[in-house]
Amino acid sequence: METITLNKKLPGHDQMLDQQLKTHGDQIKKQSDSIMNYILVCMYLAGFALAPFYNTWTVSLEVGSLSLLAYYSTKFLLPESNLYQYVLSAVFGIFMAQYIYQMHGLFEMHFFAFIGSAILIAYQNWKLQLPLMIVVTIHHAIFGYLQYLGDGHIYFTQLEYMSLQTFIIHVALAAAIFFICGLWAYNLRKNTSESLAKTYEIVKLQEETKQKELLEAANEELKKSNLELDKFVYSVSHDLRAPLASMKGIVELSMEDTEDEMMLEHFNLLSNNIEKLDGFILDILEYSRNTRAEIKQEDINFKEITDDIINNLKYMNGSKDKIEMSVDINQKEAFLSDKSRLNIILSNLISNGIRYQNAKIDNPYIKVMIESDISGSSISIKDNGIGIKKELHNKIFDMFYRVSSQSNGSGLGLYIVKEAVGKLNGEINVISELNIGTEFRIFIPNVRQMNE
Amino acid sequence: MNSKDFNGKRIYNKVMVIDDTPTDRYIAKESIKRYSFAREVIEMNSAEEALEYLESMINTPDGLPELIFLDIQMPEMDGFDFLEKYGQLPELVQNNCIIMMLSTSLNSVDHRRAEGNRFVKRFLQKPLNRSQLAELEKAA
Repeated sequence: METITLNKKLPGHDQMLDQQLKTHGDQIKKQSDSIMNYILVCMYLAGFALAPFYNTWTVSLEVGSLSLLAYYSTKFLLPESNLYQYVLSAVFGIFMAQYIYQMHGLFEMHFFAFIGSAILIAYQNWKLQLPLMIVVTIHHAIFGYLQYLGDGHIYFTQLEYMSLQTFIIHVALAAAIFFICGLWAYNLRKNTSESLAKTYEIVKLQEETKQKELLEAANEELKKSNLELDKFVYSVSHDLRAPLASMKGIVELSMEDTEDEMMLEHFNLLSNNIEKLDGFILDILEYSRNTRAEIKQEDINFKEITDDIINNLKYMNGSKDKIEMSVDINQKEAFLSDKSRLNIILSNLISNGIRYQNAKIDNPYIKVMIESDISGSSISIKDNGIGIKKELHNKIFDMFYRVSSQSNGSGLGLYIVKEAVGKLNGEINVISELNIGTEFRIFIPNVRQMNE
Repeated sequence: MNSKDFNGKRIYNKVMVIDDTPTDRYIAKESIKRYSFAREVIEMNSAEEALEYLESMINTPDGLPELIFLDIQMPEMDGFDFLEKYGQLPELVQNNCIIMMLSTSLNSVDHRRAEGNRFVKRFLQKPLNRSQLAELEKAA
């Protein structure tokens, strides 16, 4: 059976469906072929059943055998093609002609054409009607004419004369039958392939719904485990930080209890290391929150954020007081973004500026400049601190990378900043020269812009 | 109020420290003592103990602390549970005591919860030290 092309183009015409249609077609072909075997045998034997009437044994043997030979040889030699079906159609026509002759023009034998026409519906191919029609027409034309001319051995019809009217009715009715059988064959095929496609779509939809449900379930699981992780991180961080706070308190008290320089120095070292550890825990906490939190979209007030950060920096170990902090904000349009991530970015960079200031100069400064318009926000944090060597400009964003083991940082700060910038689809660049200063330039696109 | 001004500096008569960690209680008490922040420091091991004490002082308001330093993370009954029960104490007690929450918590939820509570005046970071006490004094 040839590949089915549907009249209606179904959405997502895919290979699976084609495969199913082809398999279905092959099935029909096989079923019909096996039926035809029985029918052909019966027709062959029918020829012999009719032979006694007028002693037409040779005809039944020769014509019948030739017909069967034609069919089976085509089928055998060209198994991939369905030419043999067309041969079958012609063969039905030939058997009809054979029976007409064997019964010396008995009109009723014409019915075999219609029987053949109906049988061919099995292949669900309307084109198979054509060979049959052609054979019947040619046979009628030639033999009818020859008998009319006077050939006595034709035995085409027992009628002396057929009026034109009868003839026309005869033709019309025959045409009607061929047409109906052809139409049925066509409809059958169309209906089966459409219902196949429909079932296929239903199954596909069921599959998709199932997949969606699985995905939703997985999502829920993920949300739950995220929540649990948050809780875990929170309680672990508290359990780690509480003893550190206690240690800090004791160290502070101890420092008051002595004026011994060596002891004070020792306590100082202790204190620094406690700060370091605490800072590390804070950074890890921040990192954990940062990577997993959803990106929010809220109206950003940069002044609020920078004020908060500078306020909180009071608690940072010393040195903050010497540095001159200037904040210049130029916000032209409303800026939608994730506030907590912006906070992380700004506070990390500003506190880095403080931490890595140049102790030798008189006027250490940090300049924060923020320009915000409809396309996004450009943030610049510039200082005249110790600067960063050119070769290290890429490395500073690595996780746990610290410029020196003397530094108090955990090495996570800039990594976190880069992650946060990335999550906001922004860009970050560093311009820096050793002992001159550093500038971090960041661009965060306006979420509104992206949504439009 | 029983606090007296001393060289322009305010000293509280009684303050209470509620914390299950002995070291932290010690730090708080020491800091308060050294800074002359208060004359007497009542140490409470747990929120339940503190509530019992407060309830027992209902009829002798002189025994009530003027300031309470309340730790958040405590087993069984934590700082917020204490605040709930505190809200059920008679108004006399509530008006007498000001509460400062003390914690290492970074959790903004904790912060907001504390600041949203009508009894909590401030949220302080541990450890309690001189500079924090000085600030409290200025603000008072």
